[in-house]
Amino acid sequence: MKVTVLLSAGLHPVSGRPCPAAVELQAIRLAHTLGTPELTGLHAGPAADAVRDALGQGLPRLLWLETAVEDDPLAGLVAALATDRPDLILAGRQAQGADDSGLLPYALAKALGLPIIADAVAIEPAGEGAVHVVQALPRGARRRVTVRLPAVVTVHPAAPTALPFAFAAARRGTVERRAGQAALRSGAAIDERPYRKRPKLIAKAAAGASAADRLKAATESAAGGGRLLVDPAPDEAAREIIAHLRELGVLRR
Amino acid sequence: MSAPAVSLVAMLYVLAVIAAVMMGRRVSLWRAGRPMQVDWLKGIQALPKRYLVDVHHVVGRDPFTARMHALTAGGLLAGSGLLLLAPLAGGFRLYWALIALLFAAMLAGGAMVRKRRTPKPARLSGGRFNMLPLLLIGYAAGCFLVALDAASGGWLWLLAWPGLWLAAAGGMGLVLQLDRGPMRHAFAGALHLVAHPRPGRFEGRRETALAPLDLEAPRLGVETPADFTWNRLLGFDACIQCGRCEVACPAFAAGQPLNPKKLIQDLAATIVPGGTNAAYAGSPYPHARAVAGVGGPQQAIIGREAMIHPDTLWSCTTCRACVEECPMMIEHVDAIISLRRHETLECGAVPEKAAPALAELRYADDAQGRPLVARTDFAAGVPLPLISARGEADILLWLGEGAYDMRHGRSLRALLKLLHLAKVDFAVLGPEEKDCGDLARRLGDEATFQRLAGDNIATLARYRFRRILTADPHALHTLRNEYPAFGGHYDVVHHAALLDELVAAGHLAPGALALADVTYHDPCYLGRYNGEVEAPRRLLDRLGLNRVEMERHGKRSMCCGGGGGAPLSDIEGETRIPDIRMGQAAATGAGIVAVACPQCTAMLEGVTGERPEVRDISELVLMAVEAAASPADNRAARQPEPVA
Repeated sequence: MKVTVLLSAGLHPVSGRPCPAAVELQAIRLAHTLGTPELTGLHAGPAADAVRDALGQGLPRLLWLETAVEDDPLAGLVAALATDRPDLILAGRQAQGADDSGLLPYALAKALGLPIIADAVAIEPAGEGAVHVVQALPRGARRRVTVRLPAVVTVHPAAPTALPFAFAAARRGTVERRAGQAALRSGAAIDERPYRKRPKLIAKAAAGASAADRLKAATESAAGGGRLLVDPAPDEAAREIIAHLRELGVLRR
Repeated sequence: MSAPAVSLVAMLYVLAVIAAVMMGRRVSLWRAGRPMQVDWLKGIQALPKRYLVDVHHVVGRDPFTARMHALTAGGLLAGSGLLLLAPLAGGFRLYWALIALLFAAMLAGGAMVRKRRTPKPARLSGGRFNMLPLLLIGYAAGCFLVALDAASGGWLWLLAWPGLWLAAAGGMGLVLQLDRGPMRHAFAGALHLVAHPRPGRFEGRRETALAPLDLEAPRLGVETPADFTWNRLLGFDACIQCGRCEVACPAFAAGQPLNPKKLIQDLAATIVPGGTNAAYAGSPYPHARAVAGVGGPQQAIIGREAMIHPDTLWSCTTCRACVEECPMMIEHVDAIISLRRHETLECGAVPEKAAPALAELRYADDAQGRPLVARTDFAAGVPLPLISARGEADILLWLGEGAYDMRHGRSLRALLKLLHLAKVDFAVLGPEEKDCGDLARRLGDEATFQRLAGDNIATLARYRFRRILTADPHALHTLRNEYPAFGGHYDVVHHAALLDELVAAGHLAPGALALADVTYHDPCYLGRYNGEVEAPRRLLDRLGLNRVEMERHGKRSMCCGGGGGAPLSDIEGETRIPDIRMGQAAATGAGIVAVACPQCTAMLEGVTGERPEVRDISELVLMAVEAAASPADNRAARQPEPVA
């Protein structure tokens, strides 16, 4: 099986120094759970300093598409993956210290015409040409889906921790450097604002109840609330969702 | 010469040849190791001093054993050596009388060997060692009888013939033990003293720094016995299994799967092709993890399928208590770090909780990924000059990672106040100070250590200062003893030593403290690694405190369990090392344990239940100085309040 792990140029959240993104290192570990895949790391960007250390954490080789700072990595990645045609493309759910929009895997899947499964915590082989993916859902819930390969899978931070760094392995790993594609970012539409923490929604039902009830409501409602419908008809599901959003005040009409 | 005497001498020559063959077999095994230049001439010249002074200094801590060994080894070597000269001097009766005297001494020594082993203390080994007293007594008694007969001019021939047989049996037994039995220590130990990997130890130098690793080498660290240099392999063979290391080892005491003696025996067993640990008959690793127990010169040492389980390797706190106690001068900690280096750098097989710490050190220069600017947060309210603002200071204060800790922050605040009171010209690096690399190095991550060392040395080179002051003995050892190999030479002083200086010079005037009795816990990296055991005690005595000593103190102190990355490795045992140490402190009846290390503070403050209070030396000095300034407070309670 050919597996490619997308690696982004991460920055350490405290020191601000280049470092591999933790969730992408976890993706490398997940790739190892698929037996002995032909594993490659793929990075498009102006420098590979940060990404090179992934070679010490279970990645045998790295393909580096060298692009200018202002280039959009997507075009180069799509071109490389379209020629290479891996069975499975793994990515972190979000970069660390870059644009961090978390949109690249979706844009990539769309451009390649592949299915995308988000937030994997485990991947198991499921016979020829398919894998089982265990997805992380809110509140610790897990969902197991089967997907036909090739596919894009993003990895959730709840996946098993990355393999420890081995200096000698990083030294042994190979980096193949290729010229990337120049492609200007379509970033005109992005509106930047300072981050503002959203207020927590506390269930009204708990007002005036005992302290324990209020605590329960306060801690539970943060993760969504709502009702669980098992296998509802599409019409009914849509009505429920709209009703729920109105109740929350997200939909005003 | 009488007939039995001639036969004895002839037999001795035969035994000497067999002994040479046995020793040659073992020597050929050491040749599997990597080459290492040894100054043979210097080593051989120094051998008598190294043996009679340095080894005896260790052996003499147990006077009975010292006498036992002097009689046995002295009688055996001198008596047998003289016997080999019989073709020249065999005609003199005085010569035989002298030989009889020497073997009488050896006989007494052999009897002491037997006495020491009945009943056998747990630290001594059984197996081949059980035969040792009999063989020694047999050989000594036999030689004694033959020599006595020759000295008497043949009057005792009736005793001489059985004596000859006894000597032959005993002598043969001893020679056959040269390969894998207890007698191996005799020739391997002597050679180890000659070709010791740290010859500076015998010249009064502090030989405690780890050797730098060449990161360009094709294989990093030690995977197989052949990766050790040959004189390290020789060192493992020098072990006599006396078990002093086992008694001193904190991990062994806490029931973690480490026994330094068994570790060295396992390493010695792997030198032999197809070697197994089956012949070992001493204490096992406590709660030993299952391993195959097989090895060979080209086979991996660490692993479930090999000789030593990784948990054994990661139980070590690098406290050097085993090295301090070893009469054969074996360097256990060096071996452990070499093996860890391979596990970490080549295999990435570090303990689960150590991996994130090493990652943070790699990318954020702090083991917990805390911002470097936050290191000085503890000092809020106390002026803390930055050296970057001035370019120079008399004393550069190295804060270390303890500065992030709330508890140790109190000790550092006390130190800062004292420095201000004494009008010391000092400054800190502030955000420019990175982790000194101690943790990374002890966990085998030499690559990260060398990067941190290089960065720190480059930072320090930009400023002018006379001395570096630190309250962290781990940083002290690293900066003072391990940075020189990377081009950083500094005069580093521990805060206890500096405070002692300041009080002696009259810059600080402590009053007498009316507190409960104090017992001082020596940090391993200050006492054993750097030999500084007197300054902290002198300082405590200046405060008018009644100081009591724990049984294990000074250079033979017991570890708190906080070194060598052991808190991160967190290998399961029966008890916790700090609980044992606190028990020893409580047994003195002291109300206060004085500490001088952030690790010791953290480990000992973590002990639950009723126990003495933990106070850093700087806190006690500040109390005394403040008490002198306002005598009204002197009526404070004898027992300080808990801090943590």
